[in-house]
Amino acid sequence: MSFRKKLLLLFAATVLLCVAVISASVYSTIRRSFEQANQDRANAIAAQFRSEFQRRGLGVTRKVESIAASETVQRVALDMNRGTTDPGEYVGEARTLASQQQLDFLELVDYRGTILSSAQWQAKFGYPEATIPRATIAQATTAADTLPAGAFLKREELPDGATLGLFAVRVARVGEQPLYVIGGERLDQGFLSTLDIPVGTRVLLYQNLDVKWDPKSLFDLNGSAAGADRIAPLVAKVRDTLQESQGVIHWTSDPGDTEVFHAIPLTGPIVNATNPGATDQGAANQNGANQQLMGVLLVGSSRRPLIELERQIVSTAMLVGSVGILVAVLASLWFAARVTRPVVSLAEAARRVAAGDLGAKVEVESSDELGELAAAFNRMTEDLVQQKDRTLQAERVAAWRELARRLAHELKNPLFPLQVTVENLIRAKQKSPEMFEEVFHEGTATLLAEINNLKTIIGRFSEFSRMPQPQRQPTQVNDVVRAVLRVFDAQLQQAQLQDKDKKQISVRTELDQALPEISADPDLLHRALQNLVLNAIDAMPQGGELAIRTESLGDRIEVSVSDTGSGLTQEECGRLFTPYYTTKKHGTGLGLAIVQSVVSDHGGKISVESTKEKGTTFRIELPCNPLTGWS
Amino acid sequence: MIAAATAATRPHYGGTLRVMLQSAPDALELPANATPVDYWDMARTLSLVGDTLVKLDARGDPRPALAVAWQSDNNARHWLFTLRPGVKFHDFSAASPAAIAQILGTLHSNWSVQASAGSVSIESETPMPSLLAELALPRNLLLKQDANHVPIGTGLFLVAQWQPAKLLKLAANEDSWAGRPFVDAIEIEFAKSFRDQAIALELDKTDVIEVSPQAAGGSSPHGTSSSSLSLPVELLALVFSANSKAQDPRLREALALTVDRKPIQSVLLKGAGETAASVLPNWMTGYSAVFSAPANPQRAHAVLAEARQPAPHLSYGLAYDPRDPQAQLVAERIALNAREVGITVQVSLSGAEDIRLVRVVLPSPDPATSLDEAARQLGLPQPVFSTPGGGTSLDDLYQAEHSLLAGHAVIPLFHLPVASAASARVRDWVPSRLGAWNEAGPSLADVWLADRPEVLRQDSRAYSFPPVGSR
Repeated sequence: MSFRKKLLLLFAATVLLCVAVISASVYSTIRRSFEQANQDRANAIAAQFRSEFQRRGLGVTRKVESIAASETVQRVALDMNRGTTDPGEYVGEARTLASQQQLDFLELVDYRGTILSSAQWQAKFGYPEATIPRATIAQATTAADTLPAGAFLKREELPDGATLGLFAVRVARVGEQPLYVIGGERLDQGFLSTLDIPVGTRVLLYQNLDVKWDPKSLFDLNGSAAGADRIAPLVAKVRDTLQESQGVIHWTSDPGDTEVFHAIPLTGPIVNATNPGATDQGAANQNGANQQLMGVLLVGSSRRPLIELERQIVSTAMLVGSVGILVAVLASLWFAARVTRPVVSLAEAARRVAAGDLGAKVEVESSDELGELAAAFNRMTEDLVQQKDRTLQAERVAAWRELARRLAHELKNPLFPLQVTVENLIRAKQKSPEMFEEVFHEGTATLLAEINNLKTIIGRFSEFSRMPQPQRQPTQVNDVVRAVLRVFDAQLQQAQLQDKDKKQISVRTELDQALPEISADPDLLHRALQNLVLNAIDAMPQGGELAIRTESLGDRIEVSVSDTGSGLTQEECGRLFTPYYTTKKHGTGLGLAIVQSVVSDHGGKISVESTKEKGTTFRIELPCNPLTGWS
Repeated sequence: MIAAATAATRPHYGGTLRVMLQSAPDALELPANATPVDYWDMARTLSLVGDTLVKLDARGDPRPALAVAWQSDNNARHWLFTLRPGVKFHDFSAASPAAIAQILGTLHSNWSVQASAGSVSIESETPMPSLLAELALPRNLLLKQDANHVPIGTGLFLVAQWQPAKLLKLAANEDSWAGRPFVDAIEIEFAKSFRDQAIALELDKTDVIEVSPQAAGGSSPHGTSSSSLSLPVELLALVFSANSKAQDPRLREALALTVDRKPIQSVLLKGAGETAASVLPNWMTGYSAVFSAPANPQRAHAVLAEARQPAPHLSYGLAYDPRDPQAQLVAERIALNAREVGITVQVSLSGAEDIRLVRVVLPSPDPATSLDEAARQLGLPQPVFSTPGGGTSLDDLYQAEHSLLAGHAVIPLFHLPVASAASARVRDWVPSRLGAWNEAGPSLADVWLADRPEVLRQDSRAYSFPPVGSR
């Protein structure tokens, strides 16, 4: 991974982390705020319910007061005080009065606590009414003082079961004996429907009518509440503690279907007939009065708005985060590019230097560490150039020395016979004129021979300096190889005949029959291969195997010439293609230089592999089309 | 007397007597399993059109009707009735022995009814000591039917117009053997509730109505009408269904002991009727006091403890007739009483009923006939009399009734009267003490209509019948 990518990833991760931290912080803050708002809303609804409860209680109280003051009740009270009470006459009165005042419950109870008339259960006449405390009955003259002044919750038995009601009791007193009027309204769906419930909130009421949990006693505006058993633990907690409680119910796996319930205990006075649903803990409330749990109001607040808002926040955060990350990536790209540009320039310059371009320079744009690094690189390349120039100069000197040495060597051999011959001629002229003629003939022959020898040497050098440009034509390299081998075939056989003891050099050819034609100069190739074969033969004075292979390499061909001679050292291999360098006693050092020149002119390359005492292999690679050859 | 007409007012012919009834009959015939309301309304209506061979007076003594004389053999298996001569049906056909025998033979296929000169004989394989009471029942009215199933009888009135479930117009039978009635016609409107009838009577839109026993007794506040109560001729009782969950007789007995009848009678029934522990009322038998009726919760608890314990929260359904205005309250009171001893009774109009609050008619002053009829209506086995063809002796009657009540399959609660009221323009109106309108004694033939209503004395009371006592 590049430095720029690493830098980019680092920047992006940093930005992402920052966005995540900020989003989480905002989300947490908003969530706390909404939960607080939710709590406040539930508290408001609870307060509203209490207010509604008081208002309805006041309404019930007024209705009961109105009934107690009615002519009908006054007449019943008068009859009762006169002792002329006829229950049969009053049995339907309560229902009529309750209907007039739109009360669900109404009972007329005589001074002994016996029901004279009941609206909700007409057949209940003659039965004792438990709402009137026994102490109150015993002190009939002060009955009104001992009765609840306001409305209260009470369990009411009905023919089809018990229910919960909001009651008030008033006394109609005509004579000494009080007539109690107990009226009330059902605490049911109708009551819940009067509450102004905010959207997303619902109110349920559990009538605590039985010791055991009864799901049928839990209802909301629409009737029996679905999933009542899920709410049972919360109700049970309130029943146990008589304190407000809160619970969260997950209706489904969807978090939006979660509801937070606030359970509010509804208490009422303990009457003579105890409420089966009342608990011991409910015997006293926080006010210290004897109270029992009559019901539980459950304010359910859906978390869907909160969840949806949370989702919206998360979506927004993700959008902002994504944009932020995108911006951060772009900024990181710009920043990373800015930061890494000198480094990239340095790397590019280093690659150029590695490729041989010692003139590569890095622009120094800053004075920081990277600027110093670039300046140091530039100084290094300048040093390298100077070093190369010095080396080149030294190599040139060495080459000239080698050339001078070679020339001296080559020229010295013929010159010495020339000198001796001329001296012999002079000596013969002076000391033996009679033999001068004979010596002259011999001397001139020698002189001519050596002069020819010098011409040959000079011709070689001249030839090397005048290497012709390739005349390209479609050439089958296999044919060139075969032609070269034919040239040496006679030589190898003649050498065998002259020296029976000389070990034979065998020739092995592996020519690729599918070798394509290439564009090349067959004569130059012939000359190059001839040099290589000659070298191979020279390298195997003790005989061996000469192997020539051709092979197609796609858009190239390869020709290899191998011998099994004594091989070359690494240093020899390195200097092998240097002109005038030779490992032979009588070599000019131009053979392989010519081969390299020919190969180079054909866009190819030549390499050598050699193992000491194993042999040497020269490989020539030539492009089929020299225009696509190696640079 | 229902009203003390002024001396200057004399009976005279003419006018239409307007009547309102509760029931809404589709046909002018007595249904086999009629409710009390349907029974009384149709019995009253048909008794204006037809006659029976004999009638029973309030004491249960037979009186001549279409038959003027009768005799039987010692075993009461063979009876001979001498018919009133010259009687004609409303279609002017003669009420001959053959015609009478044909009608009776159709009504009772198990009888052998033969016509002879001026008489009809009835013969049965079993003794029929209560045949006269049976023949006096409305179901033995001697009626024919025309092509439109309109009854044709020999009674005081003939059918002039019939609109099923709505209106029946009767015209005076000029050739009635009992003499022409004073009124020219009777117009009966059906399907009128007690409330509608009372309002109509108060507004002088009708002359005779039915009233609930609780509302009967005395004249109206303005003296424009008066009401009358019959003797207790109905039984209000609890009956356990055949598939009732309460099969244990001790549980049934416990329930019977929980019912406090007095408050119900005094408050809900407003004093009408009598508390009952027997099927037959005391005026009919004289021994009903032998059957104890007071509530005894302690005893009920004890009996319930002996009974097989009902399953927890087991509730017994108590059904009642919604057309009976007092039935619901009575049922609820019974449920309330039962709850005191831990028996849960759920009052309902429908659903799985274990107990029914039923009202049955005791149609005859003859106790054996009424007991037999009550057992049929209650779905109980027919009473078995120790004496073959019995019912004639008090011991037989008591034993039969005691056996009927032994399993507590029925819990008698009250014996109730039926009541009716008439406006002040209706004169000489003497409703039957047995609930009918045209029985032996004073009948509608004697009723006449005053030209203008006359205010009744405020202190006037309806007929109050003295206890009949033991027979």
